Amino acid sequence: MKNFDYYKPDTLKEASELLLKLDKSYIINGGTDVVVRLRNELMEPDALINIKEIKSLHEIIEEEESITVGACVTMNEMAHHKAVIHDFGILVDAVHYAGSGQVRNLATMAGNICNASPLADSATPLLVYDAKVLVYSPNGDREIPITEFFKGVRKIALEKGEIVTGVRINKYKSVKGVFRKFSRRKEVDLSTVCSSVASVDGEIKIAFGSVAPIPLRAYKTEEFLKDKELTDEVIKEASKIARTEVSPIDDIRASKEYRLDMVELSVVRGLEHIRDN
Amino acid sequence: MKHKISFILNNEKITHEVESNKTLLSVLREDFDFTGAKEGCGMGECGACTVLVNGQPINSCMMLAVDIEGKEVLTIEGLSRGDVLDDLQISFIENGALQCGYCTPGMIMSAKALLNENPTPTEEDVKHAISGNLCRCTGYQKIVKAIMVVADKNNNQ
Ligand SMILES: Cc1cc2nc3c(=O)[nH]c(=O)nc-3n(C[C@H](O)[C@H](O)[C@H](O)COP(=O)(O)OP(=O)(O)OC[C@H]3O[C@@H](n4cnc5c(N)ncnc54)[C@H](O)[C@@H]3O)c2cc1C
Ligand code: FES
Ligand code: FES
Repeated sequence: MKNFDYYKPDTLKEASELLLKLDKSYIINGGTDVVVRLRNELMEPDALINIKEIKSLHEIIEEEESITVGACVTMNEMAHHKAVIHDFGILVDAVHYAGSGQVRNLATMAGNICNASPLADSATPLLVYDAKVLVYSPNGDREIPITEFFKGVRKIALEKGEIVTGVRINKYKSVKGVFRKFSRRKEVDLSTVCSSVASVDGEIKIAFGSVAPIPLRAYKTEEFLKDKELTDEVIKEASKIARTEVSPIDDIRASKEYRLDMVELSVVRGLEHIRDN
Repeated sequence: MKHKISFILNNEKITHEVESNKTLLSVLREDFDFTGAKEGCGMGECGACTVLVNGQPINSCMMLAVDIEGKEVLTIEGLSRGDVLDDLQISFIENGALQCGYCTPGMIMSAKALLNENPTPTEEDVKHAISGNLCRCTGYQKIVKAIMVVADKNNNQ
């Protein structure tokens, strides 16, 4: 591992200024992606900015209409939080099988989405919840809908000097749905395909990971399902439309065909779950 | 870039200088000679490097040592009190829950964290808690049993 400078600012302003001032400087949060990349020399920073000294980023804030999960809250802290468990079951399920217990004690959801791997496990629940990514920006804070956050493999909608401060999710009146992860092993494995299929206040929302350069919503399938009764025929047709909305590739984990089949299966099982529960 | 950090290591207050690019695992092994935690993969996959930070199991190969400032670290060396072994260590020996022993310190630290949080776990809880620890020798059954023996003892207390 090459050497680098390391800073631990305690305010967002300082952290942002360091990012703007120093060439090849990056944020380190839980470090579970960053340290692997450093080790494999896929990343050779001049400086790392640890944001974990910024106290406000460790909070989970519950309000009447929404819950905000701070950027430095670990996956395990989030998955054990009462209000999160109560309102965001699909997200908790997704996070529960991300990495191992040891990884989840370090890893954060903000790191997961900022790393922008196509298979990020927290992405599909956030997509079906229409979560908002909260951003500190030197030009004033802004919010980015999660549906506009992913721009490509490892590319996100942040400008230099911007920092994700948290993710805000609406408390919906009724959510019924499932997260599903297909992987070679049940524990400590990356998703071959992951999906969230949910009925959110009566509207069907569907999202997939690991079948395109970014985690994405299946808008055409959702549109087709609008105001339709979930009969076996409708479900079948929806699952065929979903296949056309993704563009998986062959890789070491699975073939393109297998992934397409799992997309179809996710839709069928997910919609059946919504209908039958 | 060197950093002076203060932390608690196996119940002892420590001030130490580290380079920014050193992992907690390498500092434990190389600077403190605590060689219980092992490097299996060095990338979070195997759990051989598991130690407790503020009571939670983490992979010490994935944490930069500079990040340990102000925290409490417990390694397998800090688990026994002098020559008195922890219940889990005794149970691993009595139940033959190790062969080469490479995974054992990490396995025991994951089990310790589970028992601290939940002294009477089910077998399923135990399996989930050690799912981030790979063992290439034992086939896991004796490991699960060794942990369950301690859990059952807690249950009867
Ligand atoms: C063994 C192992 C198993 C894993 N299994 C899974 C799995 O099953 N599913 C899964 O989805 N992932 C998995 N991962 C990947 C990783 O753990 C997750 O992506 C994790 O959520 C990353 O979070 P972090 O806090 O550790 O991020 P870091 O490594 O600290 O950061 C990741 C990236 O995000 C940027 N970043 C972090 N925080 C911010 C912020 N607040 N604002 C702007 N940019 C930021 C960093 O600069 C970096 O580019 C695994 C990793 C390992 C090592
Ligand atoms: S050496 Fe740390 S997880 Fe394998
Ligand atoms: S005893 Fe050899 S790896 Fe577990």
